[in-house]
Amino acid sequence: MTLRPRRQGSSTDDFRDPLNNFDAPVYQDELEKAIAEDTVRSMTLTPMRTVSPDTSVQDVLKLMVEKDIACILVTDGPKLMGIFSERDVLTKLAGHFEQVRHQPIRQFMTAEPVCGYETDSPATVINMMAVGGFRHVPILDMDEHVVGILGPRRVTRYLQDMIFRHSGD
Amino acid sequence: MGLRADILNQPISELPLRPVIKVQSGQSIRQAMQKMLEAMLGCAVVVDAQGRYIGKFTERRLMAALLQGSHTLDGPVDALMFGTQDCVLPTDHIALMIQMMESRKLRFIVVVDAEGRPVALTGQKGVMEYLAEHFPRQVKVQKIESKLHLDQREGA
Repeated sequence: MTLRPRRQGSSTDDFRDPLNNFDAPVYQDELEKAIAEDTVRSMTLTPMRTVSPDTSVQDVLKLMVEKDIACILVTDGPKLMGIFSERDVLTKLAGHFEQVRHQPIRQFMTAEPVCGYETDSPATVINMMAVGGFRHVPILDMDEHVVGILGPRRVTRYLQDMIFRHSGD
Repeated sequence: MGLRADILNQPISELPLRPVIKVQSGQSIRQAMQKMLEAMLGCAVVVDAQGRYIGKFTERRLMAALLQGSHTLDGPVDALMFGTQDCVLPTDHIALMIQMMESRKLRFIVVVDAEGRPVALTGQKGVMEYLAEHFPRQVKVQKIESKLHLDQREGA
């Protein structure tokens, strides 16, 4: 058996654990831990409403009003093309709705929106919303296909469930 | 205290609050829309002659107005506003607000003073920002096509 020569000056005493300086996060309650460490899939991500890029502006608005939804995903099959929200109605359509009502939504959607991944934590996606100022973040799988959408209503529902589920302890 | 205790015990005045856009009762939907556009805010608060909160007009109602036809925009904002069941005092707890938002499907919450005059606006966005402040380690940096300036908003 051939022994590998020891490097000069090395010994087991020299071993430095690379995780030595790692401070594991400390959570003060279960809610904090869940939001920081669960995946966003622990929140409700569906249903999500989708339309094709060729759907007219008028039909998209009708769908949003009828279904009482604030945001709609524009998809081509499983591929996300864009997102259209109530805010877009105010900023892009309100002043000239009659002129654009029959035009395709692709002209008014936000193309290539910021997305989260299903493996992200809820805290990560909530930070995307807060930092970016968006109310809705599409959630993708690893193949970049849309699997759902996270919006503030789903976050508040999650909060309420988590807060009052534990209120009897 | 943890996040749950904070939400149960902290007052709404701890949330990020926004200034109120006020519209007088009787003003047109078009005037409300213009104010919302200037402030880039999705809600205008309707007040009476004494400045008391009597309702709110939101982007959701604007969509309905647009679908009814452009003549609707010249009608009074009162015709399409929501009622006043959705106001809170600055001293109410955040948990109460979250319950209101969830049970009544509210996006905006009007904060009023003891006389019922609107003093601030909060709601979903305020809650998201409040939560995000509790999780500074989870900010995800995304590269957006190496562009320094965005041509359009990158989210909804």
